Parts: sequence; C-alpha cells; structure tokens
Amino acid sequence: MNGQKSKNGKQQKKPSLQQALKKSSLAFWAMSPMLIGVIGLVGLFQVLVTPKVLTSIFRDNALVDTLIGTLVGATASGSPVVGYMFGGELLGQGISLYAVSAFILSWVTLGFVHLPAEAEVLGFSFTFYRNILAFVFTVIIAVLTSVTIQALI
Amino acid sequence: MKEKEKPFAFRGKFFALLVLAVYIGLFFFDSHTALPALQKSARVVLKILPIFAVVIVFTALLNYFLQPKQIVKHLGEESGAKGWLVASFAGVISHGPMYAWYPMIEDMRSHGLRDGLIVVFFYTRAIKLPLLPIMIDYFGVIFTLVLSFYIIIGALLQGWIFEQLERK
Repeated sequence: MNGQKSKNGKQQKKPSLQQALKKSSLAFWAMSPMLIGVIGLVGLFQVLVTPKVLTSIFRDNALVDTLIGTLVGATASGSPVVGYMFGGELLGQGISLYAVSAFILSWVTLGFVHLPAEAEVLGFSFTFYRNILAFVFTVIIAVLTSVTIQALI
Repeated sequence: MKEKEKPFAFRGKFFALLVLAVYIGLFFFDSHTALPALQKSARVVLKILPIFAVVIVFTALLNYFLQPKQIVKHLGEESGAKGWLVASFAGVISHGPMYAWYPMIEDMRSHGLRDGLIVVFFYTRAIKLPLLPIMIDYFGVIFTLVLSFYIIIGALLQGWIFEQLERK
C-alpha cells in the first residue's frame, strides 16, 4: 500500500520510512534550544533543592503541607526515583503522608521548569488549564490516597 | 485537515539564551552552584539521549504506519472509549521526562490528536511501570496500588473536564 485516498479522491503519498525519520529528527532538532534550556534549569534546581531545604519547608499541618508538597514537587525536578527517595526521606523525618503523596505526584506530573517549553509547543491556554487541573487533582489525589490508606491500615 | 509543511526554525532560542545568561551570571557570582548544576545538566543529557532517540524513531514509525486519518480515527474526536484507553496506557508505559515527548505530541496533535487525551497521557505518566518495585519498596504495596488507582481515575477526569472547558 503506497498511499491513501483523501476525501476529494486524490491519492495522498505515504512518506517513506527514511523521509519520516528525517522529518521527526528535524522536528526534534528544531526544539533543541528549548530542550537545552529546560535541561539547564533541571540541573540548577537539582543543586538548589536539597532534602535539607525540602524538610525545612513543611509546617506540621496536613492541609498546608499537602499544598506545600504539591508546590515543592512542582518546583523540584529530577528522575522519579529521586522523587521517591526524597519522599521516603521526608516520611522518615515525620512529614505527613498527605504532603509526601502530593510531593511525589507533582514531582512527575507538574514542572515549573517545563512550563515555557510546554507553552511554546502546546500553547499558553492548553498549558495553563492542564497545569491548573493537574495541580488541583494532585492535591485531591494526595488527600484521597492518605485517607484511604488510613482507613485500610 | 491542513497539512502544510512548516519552514524549519529553531524554537525556544530566547529561553535557552536566558538560561545561558543565568549560568554565566552564576559562574561570576556563585561558581559553587554553577559548576555542579552544569555537571548535573550534562548527566541529564547523557541519561535522556537514548530516550530522545527512541522518541524520534517512534514518531517516525507513527508517521510511517499511521496516516493522519487513522490518528483521527483512533485518537481524534470520534475515538470514544478506545482513545481514553490508548492515552492512559501510553502514559503508563512511556518513559523519560515529559519534555522528551513534546515533539511527538505536537506532531500527532497537528494530525488530529484530541487535547483531552494529551492531558490524560501527561497525568498517567505519574505511574511508572518499571519503577513500581522501587515505589513499593519505599511506600508499600497498598500505597502504590491506591495511588495508582486514583491517578488513573484523576487523569481521565482531568481529560474530560479539559474537553468541557475547551467546548465553552
């Protein structure tokens, strides 16, 4: 099968695999300055946000700590494994499960350092609404998870 | 559906220059932060290079095997429950940082991928299939299962709410 018929009956030529590879490589190359910028910020945040800094932010209040956990997770950046390690460390230091759940969830789903890139690629409106929704749902899921765990154990 | 080839242009140049300016400033005023940050960034690059390669090949294969009409059928406005399922599954199995997937998402979106499904994809990425054993090790089986369950429900709800907001 070399092509498909479009609505007006004209034959649409299917790209060869080589052309498709060239197109996707070029698309990636075009985004390289943006990706380099994001990675530069990720490195900076990894140095500035240490476990010591994180622990000092929490206030021993479940609701406030859930919000702080979400904000801190969204601000910090790194691989999910590092997020789990930080989360485990925070739990060990007596930070509430509400805050830790919010922290490890927002670590992966939100990212202030990604915002300029996301807005550039998907548009400001998309980025704004998606991140607001993700923020609100992260808080809700963290609370629901903690309440469920307390009910189960 | 319009399929115009966009002329090649680098994107995010000013953003990259801004980050570069921050680093230059840091090297002058706080080199103890700037050097480790640069080393961490270099490590991130090395770590995600293979993921970038996978995404490039994956995008090419999608373009090769799936015609825009098929993307619309499976992940477009009329995709129905199958679209939600595919987006959730893709999010769970996808690897690497979120920004590595932007080029592919942008490409598929230009072919008709629904915004609600992008929202679902981004949120279900919180479930990291290969990392579940590590999560279980840190937080226990029950926590991991409960959190994963709520993530999927929450992701689908966000996708649905997003589409309702878009329609307004």
